[in-house]
Amino acid sequence: MSQRPSYAVGTGLFIVLGFAALGYLATQTTSVANTSRGPSYTVEAHFANIGQLKERAPVKVAGVRVGQVRSITLEPGKETADVKLAIDQRYGQIPDDSVATIFTSGLLGDQYVGIQYGSSKKVLADGGTLALTRPAQQLEEMLGKFFGAGGAADNLAGSYRVKARFSNIGALSVGAPVKMAGVAIGSVQTVKADPVKLDAEVTLAIDKKYSQIPDDSAAAVFTSGLIGTQYVAIQPGGSPDMLKDGDELVLTQSAMQIEDLIGKFLVSGSSSSSGDKKDADGGKH
Amino acid sequence: MTDSVSAKPDDSALVRVRGLTTVLNGKKVFDALDVAIPRGKITAIMGPSGTGKTTLLKHITGQMRGDAGEVWVDGQNVQTISREKLFELRERIGYLFQNSALLTDFDVFENVAFPLRQHTDLPEVLIRNIVLTKLQAVGLRGAAGLMPSELSGGMARRVALARAIVFDPMLILYDEPFVGLDPIALNQVLKLIRTLNQTLGITSVLVAHELEAIKQVADHIYLIANGKVVAQGDPNTIAGDGSPWTRQFFGGEADGPVPFQYPAGDYAASLGFPRSNP
Amino acid sequence: MSVPMSRDNIVLRSLAQIGECGLFLLRMLAAVPRSLRHYRETLRQIWFVGAMSLIIIMVCGLFVGMVLGLQLYDVLSIFGGTSATGTVVAIAIYRELGPVVTALLFAGRAGTSVTAEIGLMRATDQIAAMEMMAVDPVAYVAVPRFIAGVIAMPLLSCVFCALGIFGGHLVGVTWLGIDNGTFWSNMTATVEVVKDVINGVLWKSVVFGTVVSLIAVFQGYTTPPTSEGVAYATTRTVVASSIAILALDFVLTAFLM
Repeated sequence: MSQRPSYAVGTGLFIVLGFAALGYLATQTTSVANTSRGPSYTVEAHFANIGQLKERAPVKVAGVRVGQVRSITLEPGKETADVKLAIDQRYGQIPDDSVATIFTSGLLGDQYVGIQYGSSKKVLADGGTLALTRPAQQLEEMLGKFFGAGGAADNLAGSYRVKARFSNIGALSVGAPVKMAGVAIGSVQTVKADPVKLDAEVTLAIDKKYSQIPDDSAAAVFTSGLIGTQYVAIQPGGSPDMLKDGDELVLTQSAMQIEDLIGKFLVSGSSSSSGDKKDADGGKH
Repeated sequence: MTDSVSAKPDDSALVRVRGLTTVLNGKKVFDALDVAIPRGKITAIMGPSGTGKTTLLKHITGQMRGDAGEVWVDGQNVQTISREKLFELRERIGYLFQNSALLTDFDVFENVAFPLRQHTDLPEVLIRNIVLTKLQAVGLRGAAGLMPSELSGGMARRVALARAIVFDPMLILYDEPFVGLDPIALNQVLKLIRTLNQTLGITSVLVAHELEAIKQVADHIYLIANGKVVAQGDPNTIAGDGSPWTRQFFGGEADGPVPFQYPAGDYAASLGFPRSNP
Repeated sequence: MSVPMSRDNIVLRSLAQIGECGLFLLRMLAAVPRSLRHYRETLRQIWFVGAMSLIIIMVCGLFVGMVLGLQLYDVLSIFGGTSATGTVVAIAIYRELGPVVTALLFAGRAGTSVTAEIGLMRATDQIAAMEMMAVDPVAYVAVPRFIAGVIAMPLLSCVFCALGIFGGHLVGVTWLGIDNGTFWSNMTATVEVVKDVINGVLWKSVVFGTVVSLIAVFQGYTTPPTSEGVAYATTRTVVASSIAILALDFVLTAFLM
């Protein structure tokens, strides 16, 4: 009898502690912690492509979480996904011309819906629809754009063609960007080997906007970074005449092969051809 | 107490074992054993070690079942009885284990109160009164707060006895109650057995080897060997019945019907000597 | 009680053990209604197998979380992904380490003591004494310890996990300087209630608790009532429990994934 209260209290404490731990795990360390607790209202958005967006993915304004994706449905006969967003009541002041975009957190992270506020005075009501949306960017598209392949579409607006001859184009491929001062101004349209002159003939499509390029400018095949893709860089010359459609760039610099580069570095840095690391360091001094 | 036992009033025996045969691990422990335990008396069961005296007690309480025969306790055959009936019966039987078997988790008071708590919903005050009465009877009311590990062998046995009588049973089975006790403790237990039998009229069965102690209390003695009753009678006459069993057992002879040598093959052969010619 | 098997055939003996263990489970389940009377005893056993194991579980949980934090920080920093430390610590602990390590510790701490206790109760005739006092020892001794284990194990697991997260946080945030907000937000963004906490921690530990308690009670209850028998039984409890835990962990993971 005398022991009963002590272990009863202890057992009770233990059970309470255990359940408290469970509650802590379930609510504080899981996605439940992210679910909005306050009242929310629903906004619809139609996306042409939702990518990897999942239900309960966060909805963010300026990077701050304001709600979550409630449901994703595809109505039969329609080509756009119907995404319902549950937004916290206290963030109820969304202008009706705001843009909903599906973003990816980081390169490999989960996707979320970002809302960029518009300038309209009217506020979106409960059950309203965000008319302006931007679909999920597929990684392939993004990479394509980044590497200039997507530039071809822009050129449809108007571009002119310029030829350039290189003794070596390295890994330059069709669609690679043409850059001036680091800014893309066009893309490589064709690459072909000349059977007579035994060099490569590259056709560059340059945006009509950039029509003020001197005709003695030089073209060079560069590599972005050490292992990046190759592109054609235009170095403007000083001639008063400008390039026209069908002209040829006479001054060219071929692609540097990485083997050549390393070879050059080693040869110039060290007198010995074996070129081991210590010698290379010694040569620098 | 005996008058409350009315299942078979014509039967003077509370426990009646008829033709009990038990085979354990290929060895015949009992061979058509017949034993009758009279009501209100103290019956001693004696016999050489390993003859199954404790096993007989286990048959009486239904902890073990024989291969043939009947064991009637208060008009019920415990060999065929249902578990529920058996448990009901056991509430009226006290059993004193050789090593007391106190629950080591509980103190003395709770050990004695254990059967009450398990089988009744008596108020705490009443439980306390009953337990203290029983502890007073065995002279250990002052030890109510001790844990079993703090008790001497004799005290533990007396606590176990208090626990065995907490329901005022009709029958108490004592399994070797005197083993390992000093002369003082032995006499205390002896006195208790006698007192319980005389004042409460509890039928008692005693399994023991201590001849002198048994002579002081037993009304009847069974001598069991080789799975059979080889002799029986009251303590003063049984030793003189002349059979080789009683002569060896009560005389304490090393060799006799109970052989000194455990059964074995030819001694010379097992030592590797050539067989001697007869 | 004795296994009627030739001693040399370990496969048959193991099978017989498993079979007896299953029958014993049925016997205990049948005795559950009768043992409801002994709820106080069940509470007392929760105290013994649960609350008394709390310290070791907490200490081990803390250290497991800390070492995970340290290791993951080291590896993830190669990829510049140290902000994922919290996530990986949580998932590793919830899905595997929490329930498995807790169950192994539980088998070592509580399982052995249950086996030894019941074995000694047999050896000292306490079980037989209960039989003689018309108290069903399965209902009074076996079932309360079994139920206590089933209840205590998930609770211990949760405590272990909580301390593990705390340990990971301690190393990651307090010592190695991962941003506190990043640690938590990455964790809460990835960890799911059903998949990680309910399936990962709770179900697994309920199953482990059931199995470990069953093995511990069974071994104690059926061991030969000698000091040697009790010693062997405790060893078998640890060995059998560990094998059962790890094998079941694989099966459960495959099922609950």
